[in-house]
Amino acid sequence: MKLPNYNQRLLSMETRTKRFMLGAVAVMLLVLAMIAAKQDYFSRSTAIYFFTPNAQGLSKGMAVKFIGFKVGSVKEINMEPNATVRVKVSLDDEYVHLIGQDAKARLVKEALVGESVVEIIPGSQQVRQVSQNSVLEFERGQDASTVVENLAAQLQPILSDIHQITSSGDIQQTLKNLNQASGTFRQTVNEYTQLGANGNKAMEHINSSMETLDKAIPKLVDKADATLDNVQAATADIKKITNDSAGEIPSLVRNANALVQDGQETLGGVKRSWLLNSLFTAPEEQSLPVDGYVAPTQP
Amino acid sequence: MLLTACGSVDEIRSARLEQATEFNQRGQRAFQRGEYQAAATLYEQALQIDVAIENENGIAINTLNLARVNQVLGKTALTQRLLDHLLEDKALRYAPAHLAEAAVQKALLRLQENDTAGATLWADRAAAFCESDCRIVGVIDNVRAGIALRANDADKALQLSERALSANSDVPLERANALRLMASARLMKNEAVAALSLTEEALVIDKSLGLPEKIRQDLLLSAQAHEKLGQAELAAQCRDRAARIAATALK
Repeated sequence: MKLPNYNQRLLSMETRTKRFMLGAVAVMLLVLAMIAAKQDYFSRSTAIYFFTPNAQGLSKGMAVKFIGFKVGSVKEINMEPNATVRVKVSLDDEYVHLIGQDAKARLVKEALVGESVVEIIPGSQQVRQVSQNSVLEFERGQDASTVVENLAAQLQPILSDIHQITSSGDIQQTLKNLNQASGTFRQTVNEYTQLGANGNKAMEHINSSMETLDKAIPKLVDKADATLDNVQAATADIKKITNDSAGEIPSLVRNANALVQDGQETLGGVKRSWLLNSLFTAPEEQSLPVDGYVAPTQP
Repeated sequence: MLLTACGSVDEIRSARLEQATEFNQRGQRAFQRGEYQAAATLYEQALQIDVAIENENGIAINTLNLARVNQVLGKTALTQRLLDHLLEDKALRYAPAHLAEAAVQKALLRLQENDTAGATLWADRAAAFCESDCRIVGVIDNVRAGIALRANDADKALQLSERALSANSDVPLERANALRLMASARLMKNEAVAALSLTEEALVIDKSLGLPEKIRQDLLLSAQAHEKLGQAELAAQCRDRAARIAATALK
């Protein structure tokens, strides 16, 4: 009775195991397919090459872009027997018709501190498109340090010219003459002013004083206003603090009084206790010693 | 039992009594510093509280102290009234020792006014109040010696003062008083050398107690002794010293 049931259960378990194994294999295949898709194993591509004196800045898997779009990637970087570097690039067939035989591959940086990419510079449209194993011309784009070096090279002659001009005697002499002319003019003006202004000197003094006062008074008034504002603010603060704490002060005083009284009572109690009362004799009212001497009346 | 004993406390003293005691002690300190007016005020305050709480002991003590201070301040009439108030009080009963002190002070006042009869009467009353362990026996003897001197009875004065000296061996103030009275008796008997020795001994005690008036009295007695010995210059020096003390007006 029991054997058929056991066989049936064994068969069921076998079936479920098969299903599980099949599922696992399917998942593995799916993952592999996705990886292959990612690695462009399912897309058709055209391999082209370019040569460069060194492999600096190039790496396997580097993106290849055409007018900003990724159209392929660097597949291989190999050194040739003549000490040059051969780079194999895989281009999607979808874009191959856009790239002519005279196109150039240029190593550039997408930004000042970005990744380097191989950029395909389009050639002439009339020229035949690249095909499998075509070789493109390669050039390196300018990086930041090269730009700075070029800029410095261009600025150098300009700076030299400026230095030469400013240090030449002609310019200095011209400036000196101009300065002298300015001084003479100032002196002439002063003499003229002095002649005409002697009579009005006192008035000028008064005007000057008045101007000083005019300038000073508003400042003083402003300062006084600010001071008064500060005093007013401080008074307001004090008033607020006083008002806030007004209710608490009497209770504080009462509490302090109570505390002192409690302390005195406690101390008094301790002093009167059996253990310590011999140390602290309770003070009592005392009489002055009787002085039994009366000075005799002086003859 | 032990815990009960540990927890037991003395008799509770009222805050009023504590206050009266405080005034009394402050008065004592003021008197010792020679601040007699301040002392009088403090004793008055203590007396007022004692009267209010009917503390008989305190009333007697502070009345006597107030009388004593007023005597020093020269307010003899007030001193008399205070002492009479204590001695003639019918409502309250005071300790005999306090009444004896009051009677002695009355005797001294009478003596100060050269009323030897009255002084003797109050001295006798003081002795009557004094019981077996009376602490002012020596004082009464000194008062009686003073009375004898006023009566020009040098021998009696000498006898009483010598008894007072032995009775007041542990009371410097009265010991010095006794020595001074003995010196006066010796001077009366023309025993200047002995008198000079006694006054010098009294002077040491009075200086140690810081009592200007007593020092001055000692110096005056020394001057008399030097005069009797023919030492005019030394006598003059002692008088000069006494005059300098008097000039301070401190008692």
